[in-house]
Amino acid sequence: MAGSIAAQPPVTTRTGGRARRWLPWLLLRTGGVLFVLWAVATITFFAIRLIPGDPAEAVLGGPGSQASEEALAQARREYGLDRPLILQYLGYLGRLLTGDLGRSYSLRAPVAEVIGENLGGTLLLALLSLAAAAVIALGLAAWSARGGKGASGVSSVLEIVGAAVPHFWLAISLILLFSTWLGWLPPVSVPGPAGLVLPVLTLAIPLAGFLGQVMRESILDAMASPFVLAARARGEGEGGVFWRHAARHAALPAIGLAGWAFGALISGAVVVESIFARPGLGRSLLAAVQLRDVPLVIGIVLVVALGYMLVTTLTDLADRLADPRLRRAGR
Amino acid sequence: MNRLALPLLSAAAVALLLAGCSTAAPTNSEPVSGGTLVYASGDGEPTCLDPHVGGNYPQALVATQYLESLVSKNKDGEIIPWLATSWKEADDGLSWVFTLRDDVTFTDGTPLTWEAVAANIAHLQDPATASSTGYLALQKVTGVEKVDEHSAKVLLSAPDSALLDSLSQPWLAIESPTALKRSQEVNCESPVGTGPFEVTAWDRQQSITLERNKDYDSPPADAGHKGPAYLKKIVWRFLPDSASRYAALRAGTVDVIDNVQPDTIVAAEKDDTIDHLDAPRPGASNRIELNSGKAPFDDERVREAFIRSADVDDAVKSLFFGTAKRSYSALSSVEKLGYSDKSLFDYDQKAAATLLDEAGWTEKDAEGYRVKDGTRLELDFPVSTNQSIPAEQSLFEQIQATAKQAGFKVDLHPLDLSSWYGALAKNDYNLVSAPYTKVGPDVLRILYHSDGTIPAPSGYFANLAQLKDPKLDALLVQASETSDQDERAALYKQAQQIVLEGYYILPLYDQQNHFLYRADVKGIRALPTVSTPTFYDAWLDR
Repeated sequence: MAGSIAAQPPVTTRTGGRARRWLPWLLLRTGGVLFVLWAVATITFFAIRLIPGDPAEAVLGGPGSQASEEALAQARREYGLDRPLILQYLGYLGRLLTGDLGRSYSLRAPVAEVIGENLGGTLLLALLSLAAAAVIALGLAAWSARGGKGASGVSSVLEIVGAAVPHFWLAISLILLFSTWLGWLPPVSVPGPAGLVLPVLTLAIPLAGFLGQVMRESILDAMASPFVLAARARGEGEGGVFWRHAARHAALPAIGLAGWAFGALISGAVVVESIFARPGLGRSLLAAVQLRDVPLVIGIVLVVALGYMLVTTLTDLADRLADPRLRRAGR
Repeated sequence: MNRLALPLLSAAAVALLLAGCSTAAPTNSEPVSGGTLVYASGDGEPTCLDPHVGGNYPQALVATQYLESLVSKNKDGEIIPWLATSWKEADDGLSWVFTLRDDVTFTDGTPLTWEAVAANIAHLQDPATASSTGYLALQKVTGVEKVDEHSAKVLLSAPDSALLDSLSQPWLAIESPTALKRSQEVNCESPVGTGPFEVTAWDRQQSITLERNKDYDSPPADAGHKGPAYLKKIVWRFLPDSASRYAALRAGTVDVIDNVQPDTIVAAEKDDTIDHLDAPRPGASNRIELNSGKAPFDDERVREAFIRSADVDDAVKSLFFGTAKRSYSALSSVEKLGYSDKSLFDYDQKAAATLLDEAGWTEKDAEGYRVKDGTRLELDFPVSTNQSIPAEQSLFEQIQATAKQAGFKVDLHPLDLSSWYGALAKNDYNLVSAPYTKVGPDVLRILYHSDGTIPAPSGYFANLAQLKDPKLDALLVQASETSDQDERAALYKQAQQIVLEGYYILPLYDQQNHFLYRADVKGIRALPTVSTPTFYDAWLDR
């Protein structure tokens, strides 16, 4: 459907027909998104309220701050925590419908504001990590394609190891190597690009491991397929064969992984932002869950869910751009 | 993230990389003015920089740099002048007159007068402030009256021998009465005090910026110098991960770190560029409470059997590498009135077995656990993974293992803080370890007076041993109202004997509070009140 726009110049006389075809798709897609957001908000709300812990204490500086009876009662009144859970849920949902994400208990600030302040940091981290992962994965794939069996074996091992290491272990190892030992990079986030290198590598390496495994397989397949032989026969150089034909072939499975990669980057951000002390959604989410800061948890989870759905939609579109067959089939 | 594996892995790696790395810096004998100190805290970031609101340790740590109290304590535990130059208790004990310094101004220009004392006490007692620690400490205070411009009379409902101790705490620091009139949101962001530094910026999740108060001249009586602080600026950061915190210290990205783990302390001892500050917190020791409010610990013999079966000494030695000293007291070693009795806690499996036999736990099941009337001798032990450091969690596992030899089945439940409080509120525990920081022996009243078994609306109660003893209650109340020092000491001794000899608690060690700092930072010391480091005397030798 999206492909049909790209493939054809807009023709005024056909606009009405296209709108009629687009409308149900748009409604369905929007309805789906709204349903998912509602389900996410509901599940998160009840999940966090049903585990033990008192959100009123978050208002008073967290559990263990020895809050007095009066202070707790005041906090409960102020945030409506003394009402039955179902009323609190409906109230929250009602405000959510008007676009109001509520106020964070622990940060005493509007949730939208907290998310606004932290979104940039996490997005920057995620995008740079994605880019770094793609570069590493493509590099390994290119090396495997041209370097023969030895190169292929080595990169295969590197990818498996990369994909298997947990973020926290990788982060500490990178800190020890590049900061404590070599003294090249700051061990925790500092303003400027130097502070970003280790966090980005920590997120990028496991992702590159996964992407690389998938891409290398399809590149090696492609390099052995008749269309590559045909390209070579036409006199295409090795670089041209790789980038114009094989790499494009390998992009498909990688794009298919994008939705999963987004999830992996966000969950990785929780760990990485904590270890490197970077401000961001992941670190806020961790603190919010520990404090039972319900509005902030739901707010962040909603934003992540929305981002996830956005990425899947973009993946659909990107698939069509990379693969002309889908465009034709879509007509 | 695995909180246990991380420090262990990193410690191993750090140890490998540590070989040969020391520089000899030139040493100045005269303090140098200027420079920025970066402090990296492992605690959660406070939600409010005014320690009146809520009132926890992370707030106390940072507020020590910009707020000051009426009185302080010296190393010998004696109350010394700070914002108040002198004080006098009325003969009936129902009021205290505090004479204030007449030359102190808050950083917003407001002068320090009796009204500041009145406004701060009112602020702490106002439910809208949501103070917990400060509020509890002022329970007997009914009001403040003017004596003259620089003297305030604090009125009490009953004599309070803990009043000076209470007022020395950062949670009861004196803030500008003008600033307190602002909204809580603003006051949380930029509290105004009389301290050597002032809060100039708070970039949440990044850092708090404190800048030198140029007009400062009101240090406590035991400070190292007079006049403004040497440091120009302090940047206060939050680095939750202990391994990266230590790496940042070694790399020089930060100058001071807190919440240092035993393995890191040992590693740092080999490093000449890093120094160690050990500042045990006042109040209660770290101890395991035995819930005497329900079976099987409602039987004193079973409590003693458990304590005899726990080999704490060896475990502390092997897990804390000599960084923590075993305690046999309910109180911290910094509390002068602490009473300890080692003989009550000797490890003795035979005695444990005899006691369990006497208590009727005579049978054993296939796994070797004791059984009585078809019930297994099973103990629930919720462990807060936020409050118990990895070494302490390992210690609990060792206790679990030695108690098993006597036939106890100890079930350790590692829980996050909220779930842990939830388990306590539901009385789902037989054993628990809960730290409690407060200046002075009055902490015993909070922890072991029977009033402490009555839950707050949150369900939380401080008397986790569920100790209900009218004789102990009477001793604790009498001690809190006695200003005669010898009599007070005798009363607290009797009270502590009841707690220890009734086998209600298993003391472990002081509440650990370790800091590491770069050796070229000079003049760091911990205030003897709640052991928070002050950077007033600190300067950079670089």
